[in-house]
Amino acid sequence: MTRNDRLICLFFAIGGLFILAGVALAFNMSPVLAQDSPTPTAVAQNNVTPTGDDSYCLVCHAQPSQTYTLADGSIFDIAVNPDTIASSVHGTQNESGKLGCTDCHGENIFPHTQPLPISSRAYTVQQSALVCVDCHQDQTSELVDSVHDNALAAGNLSAATCVDCHGAHDVQPPDVSHQTTALTCGNCHVSVFQEYEHSVHGEALFDGDENVPTCVDCHGVHGIQNPTTALFRNRSPELCADCHADVELMAQYDITTNVFESYLTDFHGQTVALFEQQDPNVPTNKAVCIDCHGVHDIGRTDENTSRVVRENLLETCQQCHPGASSNFPDSWVGHFPPTAESHPLLFIVTLFYNILIPVTVGGFILLVATDVFRRIRERLGRKDA
Amino acid sequence: MEEQTLQAQKQYPRFTPTERFEHILLIVTFVGLSLTGLPQKYAAEDWAKTMINLMGGVESIRIVHRILATILMAESIYHGGIITYKLYVLGRRASMLPGIRDLRDVIQWITFNLGWSRSHPHLPRYNFGEKAEYLAVVWGTVVMIITGFMMWNPITTSTVLPGEVIPAARVAHGNEALLAVLSILIWHMYNVHVRRFNRSMFTGKLSREAMIEEHAAELETIEKGELPPGRPPQVIERRKRRFWPYAIIMTIILVGGLIRFLTVEQTAITTIPRQLSVVGGPLLVSADNGQADQGATLWQTLECKTCHGENAESGDMTMNVILAGTKISFEAFVGAVRRGPADMHPFSADQITDEQLAHLYAWLRTLER
Repeated sequence: MTRNDRLICLFFAIGGLFILAGVALAFNMSPVLAQDSPTPTAVAQNNVTPTGDDSYCLVCHAQPSQTYTLADGSIFDIAVNPDTIASSVHGTQNESGKLGCTDCHGENIFPHTQPLPISSRAYTVQQSALVCVDCHQDQTSELVDSVHDNALAAGNLSAATCVDCHGAHDVQPPDVSHQTTALTCGNCHVSVFQEYEHSVHGEALFDGDENVPTCVDCHGVHGIQNPTTALFRNRSPELCADCHADVELMAQYDITTNVFESYLTDFHGQTVALFEQQDPNVPTNKAVCIDCHGVHDIGRTDENTSRVVRENLLETCQQCHPGASSNFPDSWVGHFPPTAESHPLLFIVTLFYNILIPVTVGGFILLVATDVFRRIRERLGRKDA
Repeated sequence: MEEQTLQAQKQYPRFTPTERFEHILLIVTFVGLSLTGLPQKYAAEDWAKTMINLMGGVESIRIVHRILATILMAESIYHGGIITYKLYVLGRRASMLPGIRDLRDVIQWITFNLGWSRSHPHLPRYNFGEKAEYLAVVWGTVVMIITGFMMWNPITTSTVLPGEVIPAARVAHGNEALLAVLSILIWHMYNVHVRRFNRSMFTGKLSREAMIEEHAAELETIEKGELPPGRPPQVIERRKRRFWPYAIIMTIILVGGLIRFLTVEQTAITTIPRQLSVVGGPLLVSADNGQADQGATLWQTLECKTCHGENAESGDMTMNVILAGTKISFEAFVGAVRRGPADMHPFSADQITDEQLAHLYAWLRTLER
């Protein structure tokens, strides 16, 4: 076959596949079928008809160990294992059919004419931005103004793009396990991961507990916002309360759900709640949950090493109140409702006013009532007379 | 007849200008403190949040609250001085102090109101109702200053007292405020605004009609000319000479105390900013900390070579990865070691520190691929 013949064959093959896929797509979009298959969270908003056939590309690219050294010294690996793609979400399990090379990389007849990219990383970032959006508009629009997207836009090529978390040719379903999520973030956020994996949440996660929060439960998935802002800090107690005020969830761990309410009645919580209500972007120096309990390294509260057990609490208070003495931590009533045994003084003062206020106010009301009574009687008497 | 009309229109002096000025100060501070304070007590309620937002947010109202508290404390110091002057120098009677007479007056007033007794009590210059209010203000202000100090200066307080007094002070401060506001709304409002609009706190004078009802005993004394004679001027002069040094010393001490109150600690107003814990990706150790020669040694001692090959040239065993001249970032490198990709055993920071990894990384980068 001449080269022209090959091209004609390819043209027909692709055309045929387009028609087949079009039929499949139309079928797939019929309302009856749509009802039957609930939409998974990461489903593609399809507008690409997969070509599926990779034989043309794989003639060269299936050969292992083909690399180019690019201008910046990075290795540009152009080899691909066909099995990797086949077993990925874009492979044979893909609802609208297996994606082909050209679906992502575009038509690119050999010999390739475009110049090699400057660096392997630059190519990855550029391709992610161009390619994934074709099918995954919802996810890519969530990325807008996220920390990673902003960092990329600012020219930081190290910032995560689609394939850094999901993989490139080996993309797997994103909802497999919470452990995988944490591990994925940990690939770049090493120091945070190290803190997290030894935290009360992290240890439970790697013991197989899927209820505990991983990275994305607090930070979000695609639209991750900067967690160092006043907004994030002011709202963080509500984030913790999402789980810690959930009676059903906390019952499994025998943890009190009074933590959020008791925080809000305390001076710190009351102020933060007011800030959040008025203008959540104004920074406050009042303590939020993570200031005492830790951020990624949140520990059990009943261990000797915990920063919130009484022995270590002074040091925790001193983070913000440097001059605090050993009596000072007792000014924090705690997350449990105070009782006569735990806080006698508080109990007595509360009781004192619970008696004094009704007695005094009631007494004044009674005295006023007698005076009103006399005046009404006098007025009526005058009328009678 | 004309004389009677004149008599009825006669006004009796009641409050001096300075007393009236003190009262205005009290109105301003009391109303201001209530408006900025009570919404903080009830911060969880929607009305309180609305009020706080209208007044410019919680930090603004706390500053206003403290300024008003300072004015009230200064006024309290002044009031202490003027009372001492009146009692000690001018020799006035302590007509604000309660006695058995007031108890009798209350009982007679109640029984009269209920129609059980025929006559309204003849009330003195300061009747039982006014005494109750005055003493409540004194008691209330003392409680508010003490508990306010505790909340304003929690660190100083807890060096001397148990920490529990601070939340107790918070409960007392809020409840005392509630008590004061309710008392004013019921007792004060009824007696001087509803029952009769008593302007004497602003005009300084009280009508004869009001005097008959509220201060009959005093009126009788005035009309009989039985007012106790004032002190002879020479006694007043002598006492003044003793009073002023005392007053100056006390003022210095009390104002000094007030300034100390306001400035002893900053924590309540300007707590030091919270240090954020290390967030984000970067490791505490950077790749620049690594030294290749140390890395070469560690490669041997940590037994990396066993799987990855003597010169990290990739092994003939399971680790089919060329680490020599690695191009991955230091962060990704550390991440890989901690995770243990593929068949590799993961290594925690206890087993291989970040510093050691920096050395290893530096050495691997020096190798030819």
